[in-house]
Amino acid sequence: MIAITGFGAISAAGGNVAETLDAFSLAKRNAGEVTLFDTSLRYPVFEAKHIPDEFFLEGRRTLSLALIAVDEALRSAGLGDDLSGLRVGVCLGTTVACQLNDIDFYKAYRDSGSAPMSPVDRYLKGNIAEYISRRFKAQGPSLTVVNACSSGTDAIGVALSWLNNGLCDIAIAGGADELNRVPLCGFGSLGIMSMDLCAPFDRDRKGLNLGEGAGVVVLETNESAQKRGVISDLYLMGYGSSGDAYHLTAPHPEGAGLRISIKKALADAGIGHREVSFVNAHGTATPDNDLVEGNVLADVFGKDLKMLSTKGFTGHTLGAAGGLEAVFAAVGLREGWIPANAGFENKDDAIPLIPVREKTAIDGRYAVSTSLAFGGNNAAIVIGRI
Amino acid sequence: MNINGIGIVFTRGRGIDSFEKALQEGWRTPSQVEIKGRKSFAYQVDAQMLSDKRLLKKMRRADKLSKMAVIAAYEALAGSGIGDFNKKSIGIITATAFGAHVTTFDFLNDILDYGEANVSPTTFSNSVHNAAASYISSLLNIQGPTLTVTQFFFPFHSALQLAQAWLNEKRCDYVLVGAVEQYGDVLGYIYDSELTPASDGMIKPFNFNPTYQVPGEGSVFFLLSNKNHDDTFCEIHNVSINADEKDTLQADLDIIDTDGLVADESIYKNCLSPAIPVAAYSPLFGSMMTGSAFNCAAGALMLKKQTVYANPVADNPKGLNIVGETGRSNIELLRCIRYNCHGEKAEIYLRGKPNGEGREVNRQNQG
Repeated sequence: MIAITGFGAISAAGGNVAETLDAFSLAKRNAGEVTLFDTSLRYPVFEAKHIPDEFFLEGRRTLSLALIAVDEALRSAGLGDDLSGLRVGVCLGTTVACQLNDIDFYKAYRDSGSAPMSPVDRYLKGNIAEYISRRFKAQGPSLTVVNACSSGTDAIGVALSWLNNGLCDIAIAGGADELNRVPLCGFGSLGIMSMDLCAPFDRDRKGLNLGEGAGVVVLETNESAQKRGVISDLYLMGYGSSGDAYHLTAPHPEGAGLRISIKKALADAGIGHREVSFVNAHGTATPDNDLVEGNVLADVFGKDLKMLSTKGFTGHTLGAAGGLEAVFAAVGLREGWIPANAGFENKDDAIPLIPVREKTAIDGRYAVSTSLAFGGNNAAIVIGRI
Repeated sequence: MNINGIGIVFTRGRGIDSFEKALQEGWRTPSQVEIKGRKSFAYQVDAQMLSDKRLLKKMRRADKLSKMAVIAAYEALAGSGIGDFNKKSIGIITATAFGAHVTTFDFLNDILDYGEANVSPTTFSNSVHNAAASYISSLLNIQGPTLTVTQFFFPFHSALQLAQAWLNEKRCDYVLVGAVEQYGDVLGYIYDSELTPASDGMIKPFNFNPTYQVPGEGSVFFLLSNKNHDDTFCEIHNVSINADEKDTLQADLDIIDTDGLVADESIYKNCLSPAIPVAAYSPLFGSMMTGSAFNCAAGALMLKKQTVYANPVADNPKGLNIVGETGRSNIELLRCIRYNCHGEKAEIYLRGKPNGEGREVNRQNQG
């Protein structure tokens, strides 16, 4: 089994896991207008409020967010900032940091045929997994997963495969993404963003709010954890992934790929659906996602499932979402409670499930976190507490 | 794991036969391109090669990057001769360095020209890095795990390592692993600004310093499994990144990924032996961060055909033991080598088809 020996998180809900739990407990929703860049678009967004100086990187906000979460995760795992003596892999998901989408650079090139290369240099040196590997002198495999909104969950799944196959003993895995003008315009053009605060699974949901952040887990073989004298009660039990083979932007109407992903993850974990105490759903608050996901979850787990989306606290953080939600699922198991599904008020008759309306005690040993993405990617992980 | 099929689209054609033909025919001058009034060279894929109306009818609005990837993935499946796939047990791993940058710049044009509220959702959807893999999944009806990964030097090697892990874990029976890159004028500008363009259009892989680059584009996909079919090309014996030198095996031939994307490639000399012939095929497809995939395809062809292909550009100022002529040869183990700008090394060892044409021999460690 693969232990989760550390985790870290930053989002609008908090600059670390403890702050996030406070926001969850108090049902604080820290959304507002965009302050990070000039825009004419007035959608509410969830910005991370503070980047400490030691993590600030000019023009590379995604890396700053990743650094904060990785630093917290490594510290909680009892690891320092020099990993050179260990076999550590780094697998992180993102959407923004993989693209050369610096508008000022491009405009200068387009207008004059030449442009300063500093944004290009930042981009070339800013591959998120490569950067984190170098920064912490990690000697194992390094890979950036760019699977749109399931990137973080898939990155954790890749790390699980690495550990299962002996490619490393420890893996830093998760995702990070900054709030950026390009996806803000892009999601706006798709007509799936809400002008109000998002309301996952609610009857009157109008779409998603974008957010930003990073969520990272430290995964470790039992042998490595024992060798370091680290005892963990949390484990990454399983991962499943499947393509819808259906449409570039819309989920399969019956959630074919999501269903397969969840079943694969459960089979990987060697548990049945009745053993799952709660599901941290993708729950973006778009009409399509929540309809499909809610129905699949009800089919697989039954109508009494405790489930929630934490995007009411973080917004949709794209490549970071899977990492953040893995951390939240793990913390929920350890703390014995999950927060309210922020924004939910009215049951949607087309969705057979009702998300938790308030801070809710949970007592089981297993949690599932799901991600659905552009392109029909679906991914699910099972986290256990033993 | 074994290479059961290879699909390719590159500047000289579509399909593994066209790649073999290029290997036999040697170097040709790449097309001339103009970047904001400056003349340069690039190995571009002609639109005619992507005009497959039957295969691509559901992705008419997709970009060139996705079309190249779909064609290469389709060719890898079709060329494998395997007809009874369970489409739920095929995984896809697409490796790219720059992804859909051309479409991303199109989307930035939208923002600059029409304003933030008037951009094209289609352009945005196609600019997402995993669009190509998603098109492969939907057009070929593949429902296994579908992943896109990115790095600037070893994304293809990492994808191969992950494919082996997936096969070991039985997450899938087959994995389509491929690389795709697209040329665009902005990328050409960046290459020419940061690195030395080849003024005669010729990459000189054995020059090492100075180096000359000519951007390329294309896609190559490999159908991989632990199965050994009739049309299997070869075995991928091992893939390593930053491996201990003591694990280095002595191959019959080394293929190096020199293509001018590092300003000084002298480090390659360290890993070459005068006794082992060396080849480099980047002058056939161009300089690409994922060029290793194309060289790997060349290696797989060599093992399957038991033929070595002459270097397309034979400038050899360092007096290396380079492959000079195309001809039959007994090759059992072949090594593809790539260094990044930090001096880190990735290697892919290809071995002759198991229980087939290649002979089993005891190998001695080189180190």
